[in-house]
Amino acid sequence: MYALSNVTKNYQKGRRTIPALRSLNLIIGDGEWLAVQGRTGHGKTTLLHILGGLDRPSTGSVTFAGHDLAQLREAQVTRLRAQAIGFVFQTFNLVPTLSAAENVESALIPLGTRSGERRRLVAAVLESVGLSDRARHLPSQLSGGQQQRVAIARALVKQPQVLLADEPTGNLDEDTRDEITALLEKLWRGLGLTLVLVTHDSAIAGRAQRVAIINKGRLSIRHDTRPAAN
Amino acid sequence: MFFFTYVRRELRSRMRQAVVTAAGLALGIGLVITVTALSSGVRLAQGKVLGALFGVGTDIRVTTALAPASGGMAQITPEPYVRHSDTLSSPTQGTMAASSVPAIARLRDVTAAAGGLELTEIKATIPADNAPPPSSFQPPVQVSVTGVDLGHDQLGPLAAARLVSGRDFAAGQADASVAVADSAYAASHGLKTGSAVTIAGTRFTLIGIVRQAPGSNAPELYIPMARAQALANGPGGSLQNKVNTIYVQAASAADVGTVTGEISRLLPSATVTNSASLANGVAGSLKTTAQLARSLGTWLAVLVLLAAVAVASLLTLAAVARRVREFGTLKALGWRSGRITAQVLGETLAMGIAGAAAGIALGLGGAAAAAAAAPKLTATVQTTNTGHGGFGGGLGADGGIFSGTVGGPVQTFANPNATHTVAVPFTAPVTTGAIVLAVILAIAAALLAGASGGWRISQLRPAEALAKVA
Repeated sequence: MYALSNVTKNYQKGRRTIPALRSLNLIIGDGEWLAVQGRTGHGKTTLLHILGGLDRPSTGSVTFAGHDLAQLREAQVTRLRAQAIGFVFQTFNLVPTLSAAENVESALIPLGTRSGERRRLVAAVLESVGLSDRARHLPSQLSGGQQQRVAIARALVKQPQVLLADEPTGNLDEDTRDEITALLEKLWRGLGLTLVLVTHDSAIAGRAQRVAIINKGRLSIRHDTRPAAN
Repeated sequence: MFFFTYVRRELRSRMRQAVVTAAGLALGIGLVITVTALSSGVRLAQGKVLGALFGVGTDIRVTTALAPASGGMAQITPEPYVRHSDTLSSPTQGTMAASSVPAIARLRDVTAAAGGLELTEIKATIPADNAPPPSSFQPPVQVSVTGVDLGHDQLGPLAAARLVSGRDFAAGQADASVAVADSAYAASHGLKTGSAVTIAGTRFTLIGIVRQAPGSNAPELYIPMARAQALANGPGGSLQNKVNTIYVQAASAADVGTVTGEISRLLPSATVTNSASLANGVAGSLKTTAQLARSLGTWLAVLVLLAAVAVASLLTLAAVARRVREFGTLKALGWRSGRITAQVLGETLAMGIAGAAAGIALGLGGAAAAAAAAPKLTATVQTTNTGHGGFGGGLGADGGIFSGTVGGPVQTFANPNATHTVAVPFTAPVTTGAIVLAVILAIAAALLAGASGGWRISQLRPAEALAKVA
């Protein structure tokens, strides 16, 4: 699915160059669940953004489904993101003025899906995350866990190949965290998604097939996590 | 449809800001409509004044000043017996050869030219030179009479007149003793179609009665040009083959200036007046209002509109800044910058349309209020060489002629600085064009505001936008 070769990412802060990722090499297989751990500010989110085509590496190549994201034009990356990559954020990032169903529907707009088909897909995905009865609620009328479910539904409604989740349980209480983790795991198993999940939580990371650790921009793979449940 | 749902929800969520933006635009648009209506009203009023003074269809008027030697004065020497005088003359204007009319008509850019004789008939009773001074003053009677070129009924003094009764002159009546009377004169003298009037001792039959626009300073009687030339006398004798006014129609409004210059070169001693120069001679509250509407009103509208655009742009930019996370998320979902910009433009456009609707209502109300509250407008126009002074009914009236007779020679004077003040009805019409302009302005302002937000969105890198969230 992904092949990252010698990827570096530097940020300029005035005259200073701040390295976020250093000579990173990584291969992520189709249908793999990779958990990425590391301390705050060490490059986890940068890696996720590069995997999602939201940012470009300073050097190196990022091959996704045969395309080098570093070389594609912005419009091509945007199209690829619309079709194949789903995002889940720590702060849910739902549009506050749109209902749960409309938020989910927003992911289908760039694909040009017809209105009737959109309604059908939205209803099905909300059903799959257990929020059929909350479709018309605004985000402010939903709990944190429900909002994250809407965000997951929004990421999955377009049936992406990969789901990139940036600390999806970071803002949730313990019970809700377990509930969301269980949901993600269920969807990963059921849909055959490639799941890259950034988390501080070792309990969640422990459920992934592989765990990568980023420390000061350098990535290392820990192979001693629990074996993937295939 | 998702686009409209999103726009509606977004505007509803920040209703206060949307209302402020729409209200700002509405105020600007309302002012534009009101000022445009006022300007139209003033133009209309000016048009009425100028049209009435100038005659419909006439672009240029050519006259000539009295020769200094003549001084506009006619002296009548008393005889040893009481005598009645009835003279037709041109006391306030000099004369030109009638051949000047075809010469002007042949000029480039001239569509038509017609001659006219604007005359004054004075009927006076002259006491005997040895008679004692009369116990009461008997002022001479004065009637304004215009000789009309029957070959050009669309040009000249009768062009703007409305026939009230009877009929107009026919082409074959050039030498006939027939007259047309102004309705006010006819009413005050009990005249009707078929009545007889005496002009310079000649009996004329009234064939029609016409009404001119209020304030037009219309002559009291109209007779065929050939009869006027035959009966009138000037300082140099008979007015045969003479005219004292030439009415000129230019090929187009754009040619008026050129034609004015050409006539001035052809007739160097003539006074050539066009509607623009006549407008410059208009004074009074109408002129003040016109200047106010043009200068203060226009600038006020432009400033308010600019302020509204600035406020709308700033509010849009502020909204975009507040929604960076939202737009970053949409970009992460695969929305193109153009699609997000279109969404923002849709929001500002909706505010613009609401502003335009409210602005039109405000503008209509403003125009109606301005028309209702406007004081009575007047226009003061110099009448020297431009028409009939009117005797006014007393000595020294500002009608343009001063006359006196006390035990000596009868003298009549032309008053070269006579003015004529007319009341002008004022309306502030809101035209479809003004409303279309307002809607275009509102939409343009909204799009400008939306474009500023769109530019900010296009600059937004999704990773950057999402990083601001964390």
